[in-house]
Amino acid sequence: MSIEVRSVSKTFNQFKALDHVSLKVETGELVSLLGPSGCGKTTLLRVIAGMEAADDISGPILFDGRDVSTEGVGKRRIGFVFQHYALFKHMSVFENVAFGLRAKPWRQRPGEAEIRAKVGELLQLVQLQNMAQRYPSQLSGGQRQRVALARALAVEPRVLLLDEPFGALDATVRRELRRWLRKLHSKIHVTTILVTHDQEEALEVSDRVAVMNEGRIEQFASPETIYENPANPFVFKFLGSYNLFHARKTNGGDAMAASPSDSNGVTFVRPHDIEIRRENFDGYGIAAKISHIAFAGSLVNVELARIDNEAVVDAALPAHAYKDLGLKPEDKVFIRLHNTRSFDDDYSI
Amino acid sequence: MSGAPAKSLVSGASGKPAPPNRPLVRRVLIATTVAFLTLFIVIPVVNVFAQAFSKGIDAYVSVFQAPSQPKDAQLSLVERRKLTAARGQAEKTWSSIRLTIGIAAVVVPLNIVFGLAAAWSVTKFRFGGRSLLIALIDLPFSVSPVIAGLIFVLLLGRNGVFGDWATHVTWPDPFSLHWRGFAEDWWPLEFTQSYTGIIFTPFAIVLASIFVTFPFVARSLISLMETQGSDEEVAALSLGASGWRTFWKITLPNVKWALLYGVILSTARAFGEFGAVSVVSGHIDSNDTMPLRIEKLWNEYNNQAAFSVASLLALLAVVTLIVQLIVERQTGKDEMRHTEGEGIP
Ligand SMILES: Nc1ncnc2c1ncn2[C@@H]1O[C@H](COP(=O)(O)OP(=O)(O)OP(=O)(O)O)[C@@H](O)[C@H]1O
Ligand SMILES: [Mg+2]
Repeated sequence: MSIEVRSVSKTFNQFKALDHVSLKVETGELVSLLGPSGCGKTTLLRVIAGMEAADDISGPILFDGRDVSTEGVGKRRIGFVFQHYALFKHMSVFENVAFGLRAKPWRQRPGEAEIRAKVGELLQLVQLQNMAQRYPSQLSGGQRQRVALARALAVEPRVLLLDEPFGALDATVRRELRRWLRKLHSKIHVTTILVTHDQEEALEVSDRVAVMNEGRIEQFASPETIYENPANPFVFKFLGSYNLFHARKTNGGDAMAASPSDSNGVTFVRPHDIEIRRENFDGYGIAAKISHIAFAGSLVNVELARIDNEAVVDAALPAHAYKDLGLKPEDKVFIRLHNTRSFDDDYSI
Repeated sequence: MSGAPAKSLVSGASGKPAPPNRPLVRRVLIATTVAFLTLFIVIPVVNVFAQAFSKGIDAYVSVFQAPSQPKDAQLSLVERRKLTAARGQAEKTWSSIRLTIGIAAVVVPLNIVFGLAAAWSVTKFRFGGRSLLIALIDLPFSVSPVIAGLIFVLLLGRNGVFGDWATHVTWPDPFSLHWRGFAEDWWPLEFTQSYTGIIFTPFAIVLASIFVTFPFVARSLISLMETQGSDEEVAALSLGASGWRTFWKITLPNVKWALLYGVILSTARAFGEFGAVSVVSGHIDSNDTMPLRIEKLWNEYNNQAAFSVASLLALLAVVTLIVQLIVERQTGKDEMRHTEGEGIP
């Protein structure tokens, strides 16, 4: 089922949590809402789910083209997974998953045997078949997350809304569950909106990513486009670490060599797009001195200071390249920038 | 920087009040607490029982059940009079016990309903005047019970704001409901007694009791529901459950121990309330609850009888304490169950 919101706003005592947000998610798509804390991701998700009423000036919320903005949360047939799971503490895993089935109006309510079979199937899907009798408190965070997902899936929702589903988990479990979610999605193909503030997660799992900031959507595009072609400085900044130069890249030249008079533009470059060499690049390189070296697993972060104006530059290079160069603090080297991105204005985050 | 060592010294001294390396402080604190509790709680309670049984078990029992007239014995006029008086006293005592239980039976269920509604509305919704409402719920704690009683007298008494209506309204005594059968009408139940007026009747006692006991259930629920938030409820609703089902299956099980705790406290208070009830009862014998009865016995210099009735209230307090302990243990267990295993990878 497709979901569309048209110009939705939400104000909390004069604070604009959502500011004329429009978004269209196609049937079967997995879309991420990505943005910093407090930018309105949860609010947008809750408005779509019907847990929060949008302001009166808002446009409609369309499920498959039909306006559902007056329907209650129970009527919209959405599966919602909360940031903190919100499992029913006093019920076993089995009862948690069965809750939605038992809550159906008695005409549609399946029999006990059917419920049993259905719940078993769902627990199989989330790989928790032998935990049915446990209570939520006896599960790990990742297991609870999967119970929450199974519970939401039990009512065969037309839409899955996931609010930072992996937010409280450690990095390894997160990665695992992310893959697992991707696989699950390709199996059941239900339209899914995933809220996250982890750019890596958003880029990895989604078909498309909506980057949000201060209640607005800054860019809505495929992960590749978002990363390669950020629409504005905010998007660029949010997608990873960066170096910022208050100068515009001149034709053929490089940002750092550009004249200061051209300073109303900004240029960004990612640390891993900075190349370091011992000897100059045919005269194009910039001389710099290494001030600090930090190991970060497969990458080595090198902090440099330009010789001419002392500006700090962060570079990241693969461990093997670092070893080949044999870099040490205080070494004098030359750097070159690749894939720079320039914008007219630097409006701050 | 020069102040750093001094600072750490201070923070070391003002740490926990009884650190393990200070046995003297700990001992003094514990001794003070125990002495205080003994002096003000244990001794008075023990004294209640001691006084109640001061004339023996037979005397204790006779407070509640006057000795029956021996069949063959010829009683003198004085003896017969004494016996009748004793029977009258026992009957009054029983009536006070019945009334007290009856009042509690009305007040506590109402408290449960009001308390749940109040706690639900202030914790699950955000609206203007919400904090005012919370403050109002606490009001009875800060108002003297006597004032509470007077408020009702001033509202419902002969010259009160609603005095005209309140002195003429007639209402049936719910405890006089009895089965009459279908002979006379299609409706088989009937009240055999009714009251006119509100103040100086059990109705007023119920009102005053509600006023003083209302915060207990609401308070204990609000603090718990505040921390629990409404995510579980919203989750249940999003799964298609009705509001009613959500309440019974999610909200109530989550707050059941807090609810029980509030019920116990408000029951104990409903049984024991004196000030508010005394003002609205009009000192009529048939309006006596147990505390009022105790006062009357005491004023009649019938100390042993007064303490005997008081021992029932004290017994109730002990039962309350035990149930409270069980509830606290259960809540602790539930919390353990909810938090243990949090760290399993
Ligand atoms: N019930 C509320 N009352 C008042 N303000 C609110 C309410 N809910 C959210 N807000 C405000 O709206 C803004 C957006 O909140 P929202 O929860 O949508 O952020 P978010 O993007 O989900 O952030 P996070 O990543 O931290 O979860 C925040 O500034 C928040 O303070
Ligand atoms: Mg959020």
